[in-house]
Amino acid sequence: MKKIFIKYSNQINGYIFILPAFLIIGLFGIFPVFFGMYMSFHKWKVFKGRFLGFENYKRILGDIPAFWFFVFGLLLLILSYWIWSEFRDRFKKIYVFLISLIIFLFAIYLINLNWEKMVLTGDEDYLYSLIYTLYYSFFTIIFEVGLGLVIAFALYQKLAGKQFFQMMLLFPYITPAVMGAAVFFLIFGKAENSFLNELIGLFGFEPQLWLFDKRPISEVVFGVKIDGLFAGPSLALMSSIIYGIWSYTGYYAIILLAGLSIIPSDLYEAAKVEGASRWQTFIKITIPLLMPIIFFLMLTGFINTFQAFNSIFVMQTSSAGDTMDVVTVEIFDHFWGRVKYGYAAAEGVILFILLNVLAISQYVIFRKRLNYE
Amino acid sequence: MSKIINSETRIPYFILLIIFIVSIYPFFYMISTSLMTAGEASNQYIFPKKLRFENYLEVWTSNRFQRYTFNSIIISSITVLGVLTTSIPAAYSFAKINFPFKNFIFYSLLLSLMIPEIITLLPHLLIIRGEIIPLPFGPSWMNSLQGLTVPFMGNIFVIFLLRQYFKKIPNELWDAARIDGSSHFNFLIKVVIPMSKPIIVTVALFTFIIAWNSFAWPLLILTRDDWYPVTVSIYSFVREVGPNFNLLMAACLIAISPILVLYFFTQKLFIESISNFGLKQ
Repeated sequence: MKKIFIKYSNQINGYIFILPAFLIIGLFGIFPVFFGMYMSFHKWKVFKGRFLGFENYKRILGDIPAFWFFVFGLLLLILSYWIWSEFRDRFKKIYVFLISLIIFLFAIYLINLNWEKMVLTGDEDYLYSLIYTLYYSFFTIIFEVGLGLVIAFALYQKLAGKQFFQMMLLFPYITPAVMGAAVFFLIFGKAENSFLNELIGLFGFEPQLWLFDKRPISEVVFGVKIDGLFAGPSLALMSSIIYGIWSYTGYYAIILLAGLSIIPSDLYEAAKVEGASRWQTFIKITIPLLMPIIFFLMLTGFINTFQAFNSIFVMQTSSAGDTMDVVTVEIFDHFWGRVKYGYAAAEGVILFILLNVLAISQYVIFRKRLNYE
Repeated sequence: MSKIINSETRIPYFILLIIFIVSIYPFFYMISTSLMTAGEASNQYIFPKKLRFENYLEVWTSNRFQRYTFNSIIISSITVLGVLTTSIPAAYSFAKINFPFKNFIFYSLLLSLMIPEIITLLPHLLIIRGEIIPLPFGPSWMNSLQGLTVPFMGNIFVIFLLRQYFKKIPNELWDAARIDGSSHFNFLIKVVIPMSKPIIVTVALFTFIIAWNSFAWPLLILTRDDWYPVTVSIYSFVREVGPNFNLLMAACLIAISPILVLYFFTQKLFIESISNFGLKQ
């Protein structure tokens, strides 16, 4: 017996060392997904009720096949990108382009058609919350990465005080979301004489209600009433988007700066010798070499912002209506406020499926690019 | 001055100045408002006429805010300790010991990163109530310290970061230690941990900030305010604030300050590790 122990002591040690972490992560990290699925098939209000099958899903999505066609459409979108990136150098470009364009258009058609089917018969609140989440993700990421790039370039110019600026850039990032949101809750308040309203007054704008305004941004800015996706987020949601941008831009800038500094300097010197202008070096060297990191940040950013909760939940106001109910808030509201556990679990499973589609697209896009590093 | 600011650096400095103002303004607003009278605060003054430091005292002594702050410190510290005690051996094992199914176990645990927190909250709640498995230390962990901390004591991301670092430690060290009759455990305590202080400090800080931030979970499992962390108390403060903006901002400042102090002492490590993991992940 002892001999066996000595012979395998390495393995035994190995297992013992991972055991505590394994138990906790297994129980609290992985098991909940399966248990959540189990819950979603039941009527579950505080305590377990009867088996419902797919009824919860039916109430949320209206038409379950439509949801799968919708997901299929998303996957086709990825497929069209994949075909384009994989085959454009191997066959005649125009054919590859046409094929991926056809798949792309068909995917858009499928997504659009099935989305409308779902909205007609499903739970509007939940489905709209997905759109609000999409707004939130889209706007935060575009600005975070864009501004992050600008800051990274500014910091890259070998300035005095770089250390100080870097430190200061991360202040918003480390500020706990609940407290940060509480401050923004006052800054974006409805008082007419607030600093923000005075500031936009300088540029000749009317005072706004910010977090208390549920009109879509297109109506606030351009005064036109549009329905549907292109109306944009409400001013209230936009305010919480600004908080998101404020808190993460510095973090993105630091990562992009690190990306800039690993570009070999002899490339720049070679460009200088060839007589390239600053702008040309930027377009021809910097941007292409930075592209993998930018893409990476955008996709991880999407997955992260789909989960944003704390700041939005704190900044909610009743006069903003449900325009600030992103998907996490909607789910939380269902089990915390309305105690519909089974229903909320089903909503969670749907979110999980959509996040996995995002992860697949991340994998497809990065499969090749990651090798470069 | 003219040496620092010239035609080359004028635009970058200008950009950084604007970013600086935007990043700092909310902090300025918070500090400034926290020193005002209630009237000045609700009239949105920019500066207080007279600095009212007694606001801090009022917040600190009223509404059990002291208690909530200490709760947060206790909860976060215990979570950090728990994460380190589970993660360091696990990361060491994944980096340095060979055993069957090692990679399979590692990657399946890594999958848990893909699972959004909002989905896990609900099953966590049932586990904590003791409805799924029998729990040690009491039939239910609702309203308890263990309920607030134990679910977050395993973190695969922390294990991942530590593992990357431990992998760089040369194997020869372990070979030498083994010949001297050292066990894995002794080697871990006496050699690996002292060698890895920077990364351990960094993950400890990460974990502390995440734990300090935790909000939805305490809101769910606390029905009494004995263990309220500051986040939950600030949230309820926001919901019922009325005209006392100044006190709310004072409370926020108190609630943020431990994080700011920690960050101030570890900023270099922190910035370095963000630069690195952003590229390596």
